[in-house]
Amino acid sequence: MRSILIILIVIGLLNSAGAQDFANSAQTAKQSYSSGNLENTRFALQQMLQSIDLVSAKEVLKVLPETFGAMSAQSAADQISLGTGFAGVVIHREYLSGDKTASMEIISNSPLISSLNAMLAMPFIGAGNNGERMVIKIDGYKALIQKGLEDQKVTYDVQIPLGSTLITLKTENFTDDIQKLVSAIPVAKVSQTLN
Amino acid sequence: MKKVWILTGLILFFKVQAEAQFLKKLQEKASNAAEKVIDRKIDEKTDKLLGNGGNNNTETSNTQGTSVSGTGAGAGSNTGVKSGRMANTQGGGLITSPPDVKANLSTAEDSFKGGNYGSARYAVQQAILGVEMEIGAKLLKSLPEKVSGLASQPDQDGVSSSGWGWAGLVINRTYSSESRQFIFSIANNSLLSAVNQFLMGSGAAIGQSTGGQQDWKQILIKGNKAIIEYDADSGYKLSIPLGQSSLLSFEGINFSSEQDMVAAVNEFNIDEIRKTLGEK
Repeated sequence: MRSILIILIVIGLLNSAGAQDFANSAQTAKQSYSSGNLENTRFALQQMLQSIDLVSAKEVLKVLPETFGAMSAQSAADQISLGTGFAGVVIHREYLSGDKTASMEIISNSPLISSLNAMLAMPFIGAGNNGERMVIKIDGYKALIQKGLEDQKVTYDVQIPLGSTLITLKTENFTDDIQKLVSAIPVAKVSQTLN
Repeated sequence: MKKVWILTGLILFFKVQAEAQFLKKLQEKASNAAEKVIDRKIDEKTDKLLGNGGNNNTETSNTQGTSVSGTGAGAGSNTGVKSGRMANTQGGGLITSPPDVKANLSTAEDSFKGGNYGSARYAVQQAILGVEMEIGAKLLKSLPEKVSGLASQPDQDGVSSSGWGWAGLVINRTYSSESRQFIFSIANNSLLSAVNQFLMGSGAAIGQSTGGQQDWKQILIKGNKAIIEYDADSGYKLSIPLGQSSLLSFEGINFSSEQDMVAAVNEFNIDEIRKTLGEK
């Protein structure tokens, strides 16, 4: 309980830092633009974009479930990678219970993702082979689930395209109902926060 | 007795088959006749809709009878009534004013405060687009009107920005005469820093060749390192990496010599461009 409280406080502090950065950059952008310094304005606007990415990514981490199936979130392994151009923003979370693991990655604001998502949205991509690949709907969004076997471990790869955002989930040794598991992903909330 | 039965059976069999064939032929005839009537009615209706009246009815019938195609369609197009998709002949195009930077900044702040991050991001991207368009316009204004005796072609001036922030800005200007052309472009892009490092980084790796035909080499333009290339099909090309993320590119078509090309490039105020782009 105490550790959860500490994590929440830290996230809150980081969030307020991001919001403060945004306000500072907005102020710099306004002043630079008024004084005709276009290059400084542009730089401040780019900083604002980074602040938005950081704050929204933290909001996404907040809405992700703490427990996922029987697995619990490994908050210490939460990661946000920003401003890498084509790669966009990458939000990473891991879940663990015994030998079962799930790794979730949410990539947003990348033009490459838009084209990947267009491909995933093609109707024939979901055509199952021996029931190992299927398309389902979560929160009204299409998701592609693919079952595999790696080193004698059952794996599932799930991809949920949301405009310029892509949610991916990879599980290992998870043998329960995968559809029930992925239905716990708050897809609509993630989409609302990032898009 | 047995023979009588067999004979009767055969007669009945052939009679039924003959009747079946007769009925089949009758059905085909009726079907053909019905199809012809339906086709004629459809053609009449189509012609009325196209405004041909009943004049082509006979032609249509003839068309069907003699297998000559295209008569009806030709008659339809002669009337001057447009069918299908029209060609656009009027309209003022799109308004080319850049996004309002101040308004988008306000929207971004409001959206961010309200937790609407998607909207805030869009507004900031629009503001970046607006600022980059202004930078482009300012740079184009500062460029010379004539280069090496060639007049600028304002209708070919171009500023393009994606608004993605890191994807950057491209500015183009063309100077030309009947026989010669000079194309200037500026690319300002955070990804270009890697390209610039490659171009200017190692003299050993990118040094000029010593044997055979010299196709490219490093030179200095107003104290800036540059690379000049020559290709028999496309002419001269001179590239100047600027600061951390900009690249100036000059292309000369039908320029008589390297000196001519360098003299044309020297007409540009590179320091002013550097300053406007915020490069050091």
